[in-house]
Amino acid sequence: MEDWKKDWQPMIRAIGKDFHEGVRQWGADPIERGAIRRFLEPLEFDCPLHYDQEAARANGYRDLVAPCSSLFTWLIPPYWEPGRTVFRSPDKNAPAAELPLLVVKTDLAPPTPYYFATNVEIDFFQPMTAGDRLCKVGDVLLSCIPKETRVGRGAFLVWETRVENQDGELVAVIRLETYHYFPHEHIAQKQM
Amino acid sequence: MTIRQRYWEDVQIGEEIPAMRFPLSIARLVMAAGANRDFNSIHHNSAYAQETGAPDMYANIIFLLGMWEKAAREFIGLSGTIRSVKDFRMKIFNTVGDTVVVKGYVSSKWQEGNESFVSIRIWSENSKGISVGPGQVVITLPTKAGLSDKSHEFWPGFSSPIPE
Repeated sequence: MEDWKKDWQPMIRAIGKDFHEGVRQWGADPIERGAIRRFLEPLEFDCPLHYDQEAARANGYRDLVAPCSSLFTWLIPPYWEPGRTVFRSPDKNAPAAELPLLVVKTDLAPPTPYYFATNVEIDFFQPMTAGDRLCKVGDVLLSCIPKETRVGRGAFLVWETRVENQDGELVAVIRLETYHYFPHEHIAQKQM
Repeated sequence: MTIRQRYWEDVQIGEEIPAMRFPLSIARLVMAAGANRDFNSIHHNSAYAQETGAPDMYANIIFLLGMWEKAAREFIGLSGTIRSVKDFRMKIFNTVGDTVVVKGYVSSKWQEGNESFVSIRIWSENSKGISVGPGQVVITLPTKAGLSDKSHEFWPGFSSPIPE
């Protein structure tokens, strides 16, 4: 095995492990009507189930429902909370200090600076209704495949997560693949 | 836009869903970030995205999923439900300045219990080729043959086994 791939062995050994067993990670906010409406805007998504309460009820829902594709939005934790500093630099390209997105942080993986999602499968079991609050339950590592790509060296990780609402009902199961990597420029600088 | 209700009996294997175009301007990607709360700079900042090895800022998974959902929803109507998305593999960056086109067709249909399913084979294209998928969106539709049009009646009986 190439030397750099060996750095991913601890993650490979952890395949099957639930990194957040029994832990409920709640999204920042309940599913809100205004937020549902704003979700529609960049898509120009004209579906009355998401903005017309009467239309939603006429189709059997108890209230407005959020689009299925908004699932992740309701799971993202707060970017800022009292006591936290998010914006520390005037550099125009500085990102927020922390991105509380849905990536599992673990010391078992190399400290890759970048990642992006590459594949997803989602099974939906309940509609996401205005007023609901969603949480992730568990993060099971299904696979870890080290690979060099056009953008850098890293690994493809697949995680399975259950999504429940405030009543403990199963809303969805997500299998998300992300690629975590050191960009080629970083690798070249390190080798100099 | 008026979404026409489609019934399971009327769906034909091979039937195409209307193609949908999503031109990606900076304004749109910024609005998408604000709307879906994914503020990773790769999705709204060209310089940052290029630092990570991407050609430019690019649409995120939530926005791309939304494109598939919008295309599917227009095809199935308000009484249809979306039950799963499979093989949503993002192969090429969908970068600012490009246009994403979502296309698809009905690949299969079946009934289980009191529910009627349709599988739509669906993908996204941009100027460089297929950028997402081809994947699958599984939906339910009401039937003309006596089942209710009320979506909620289809949810409890969803037959895929719930993982333990």
